[in-house]
Amino acid sequence: MEDFEQELKYALARKEQPPSLEAKVFASIARDASARKLSWRWEALAASVILVAGLGAQHAHAVRERVAGEAAKAHLRLALQVTVTELSKIQRTVRASTEDE
Amino acid sequence: MIKFAFITWIALAPLGAQGIKLPSNLDRLAAKATDVVDVTMDANLLQLAARFLSDKDTDEAQVKKLIGGLRGIYVRSFEFEKPGEYQDSDVEPVRAQLHTPAWSRIVGVRSQKSGDNSEVYLKTENGKIGGLAILVTQPKQLTIVSIDGTIDPDQLHELGGHFGIPKVDTRKETGHGKDE
Amino acid sequence: MPTAGSATEAQAEAASDVTFAEVLRANQSSVFSLAYHFLRDRGAAEEVAQDVFLRLYRKIDDIENAKHLTFWLRKVTSHRCIDYVRRRGSQCTIALEDTAEPPAIEQHGDPLLSRRLRHLIATLPEKPRMVMVLRYQEDLTPEEISDVLEMPVRTVKSHLQRSLAILREKIERSMGEIR
Repeated sequence: MEDFEQELKYALARKEQPPSLEAKVFASIARDASARKLSWRWEALAASVILVAGLGAQHAHAVRERVAGEAAKAHLRLALQVTVTELSKIQRTVRASTEDE
Repeated sequence: MIKFAFITWIALAPLGAQGIKLPSNLDRLAAKATDVVDVTMDANLLQLAARFLSDKDTDEAQVKKLIGGLRGIYVRSFEFEKPGEYQDSDVEPVRAQLHTPAWSRIVGVRSQKSGDNSEVYLKTENGKIGGLAILVTQPKQLTIVSIDGTIDPDQLHELGGHFGIPKVDTRKETGHGKDE
Repeated sequence: MPTAGSATEAQAEAASDVTFAEVLRANQSSVFSLAYHFLRDRGAAEEVAQDVFLRLYRKIDDIENAKHLTFWLRKVTSHRCIDYVRRRGSQCTIALEDTAEPPAIEQHGDPLLSRRLRHLIATLPEKPRMVMVLRYQEDLTPEEISDVLEMPVRTVKSHLQRSLAILREKIERSMGEIR
């Protein structure tokens, strides 16, 4: 590939998505379910949303629970990420101040 | 004075049993923020998440162990485009709760130059750690973390680099900030 | 999880193991990147990405296989980005020199040149801009781009040719020749 086109590929290399995107997607799914007057609880999604075509009713509940569980995991990950990041930054600042003395 | 305390108490929105109550006025900051993280996980949600954490995955097993004794995790983090979008009075109800005998401030770092102020508090219950709170106030950022329940701060810190949580290099020099 | 009985039940159970969360995690960086490189605004890109995955969640029954999923995501993201720009008008065009860039998943090449190229790409009109992003981020052929954007192949090739010429000229003027 020509050098210039290679540079374009480098310039348009994929970016990391914001860490909160996953949790925000699940939150918007939850809001959408509420807006459609479906009862939304974290423990179970409404019956009209089925993840994979062809699932029978006996599998639908398990699938819905998995989606809810994955959503909870995403929120947990986000909460822990903020916590760990802030704690680490504080530790770094303390360490830097101690080294300055 | 009593009247002020009464009003302050009313303004706090209890979110079930939690280490600290996050004031409801924080919600209006979301409209002014360019980026918001708002997570409320009570015991039920934590249990749900735990059910889907695999014991076979090292990272997930580590997290499962960490959250085993928790009653809740609450995070409010706001990033603003410019300074001055929140006031000390927005944060004061949180500080007031942390300045009670149950809570001890273990770290306080303030920079006169940048205006950054970071505090970490631990709550003791029956001689054990029963909660952790982090309060970070910067000119363009406000972050409040409240973790209610038995928590091991060392286990928490070790999560960096695991479970999709980036590892922050704590050895880097920051060039700002001094101990209070 | 229910235990498998007949062959059909076993297939359904295996399929259900691919959760929406796994689909999201596998595709979120490409969707976000596509939106970001086009819009040059992190918040707007995140908004578009959220919208795309919400639409995917509603339409998941219509997705036939992995290849269809990839095509669907590229198509919807591209169209949502172009709609976003049209709705917001000129306010949406962002090419700030000091915009904080999200980190690249893998960093190669000259960072200064890359940054300059990204700014210049952002100044292209919408359709040629999306053609360039699909070509050089997603590595799509003109025929594939034609399917995604529902645009004749010759138009795609024309956009590519003209955009390359414009960008090359501007870069050479500002930074010197690139062979």
